[in-house]
Amino acid sequence: MAEIALAYASSHAPMMSAARESATEEQRKNFFGALEWLRNEAQERGVQAVVILSNEHFTNFFLENFPQICIGVGERNWGPTEAWLPIDKAWIPGQPALAQHIARYTLNSGFDPAFSHLLELDHGVMTVYHELSPEMQLPLVPIVQNCAVYPMMPVRRAYEFGKAVGEAIRAFDGLDRVAVVGAGGLSHWIGHPRVGDIEESFDRWFLEQLEEGNVDQLLDMPDWEIELAGNGAHEIRSWLAVAGAVAPVTGQTLAYEAIYPWITGMGVSHFETS
Amino acid sequence: MSLYQLHRCVWDSVRFASVSSSNAGGHFDSSKYDLTDEERKAFEEKDVAALYQLGLHPVLLNGFARASGFTRDGYRDALTVFATGEDRTGRWQK
Repeated sequence: MAEIALAYASSHAPMMSAARESATEEQRKNFFGALEWLRNEAQERGVQAVVILSNEHFTNFFLENFPQICIGVGERNWGPTEAWLPIDKAWIPGQPALAQHIARYTLNSGFDPAFSHLLELDHGVMTVYHELSPEMQLPLVPIVQNCAVYPMMPVRRAYEFGKAVGEAIRAFDGLDRVAVVGAGGLSHWIGHPRVGDIEESFDRWFLEQLEEGNVDQLLDMPDWEIELAGNGAHEIRSWLAVAGAVAPVTGQTLAYEAIYPWITGMGVSHFETS
Repeated sequence: MSLYQLHRCVWDSVRFASVSSSNAGGHFDSSKYDLTDEERKAFEEKDVAALYQLGLHPVLLNGFARASGFTRDGYRDALTVFATGEDRTGRWQK
């Protein structure tokens, strides 16, 4: 059976790739240093595939059909979709057996994820995946979540879905070591009068709750309260899904920087795996 | 004649501009979308403030503003008039 060999969550922002140098040297050192440490850990721990949970930005789905969750079950997926994102466009290898197993397992656990044999991967997945696998060869199971269009899955449900994903990975006998990664958030506003603001107090509080394993405080949050930290803060669903996958979670904040040129509170948390 | 039509029109126009370089300089035809006069005017004039007020989804507004040549500060300035105070507080603020 597979083990979850590594689990973490990271903020994503297109500017972390497209305008990397607009952050200060210290901010870059802290944020990318954390991701580099995780990349090295993945290599040392022999990670064979990664499951990345991130959010949909109208890249694959539109208002005719907008699933709350979609699992990429294909042999490969394409990304990044943004022409201006300075990451080579590539076919990213999938892990169909693991992906199908996660889909079946979560269906049998009371969830109804959609599936796709070909996902287009935007900055949401690609920025964080590229930091983990610069050669873009590590097999990837992308899971996209609705974190933007009402009505959205409650955060507690996202956490519970993550628990099922974690159980599915541990019940998979096709690999030995799998990483689970959340990509999104933290506080930011998009298409809003407050675009460019960062709610640093929320971000630091959120990270502290994860460090203390105090997830109930987070899972009780209604959408209006999350939105006080920005309409982009709904992307904490990806973090909480990974927290669920390794429940009970103990987070270790590796980095936090409020990077205004990237309009996002940029955090990285490593979650203990046992 | 629905908010959906406006969303579809904006989304299609953003993808039209980005999908292929062969579209560069081409004209996106919005006539097939059933928009109100107010919606059509806002779209054709790239009036991000009006689109915001009409209820365009913020992710699409962000993409449309980018595709229309707005800087982030530029579209923030255009939306500033809609900034409202918030009476409620989050639990991290207590």
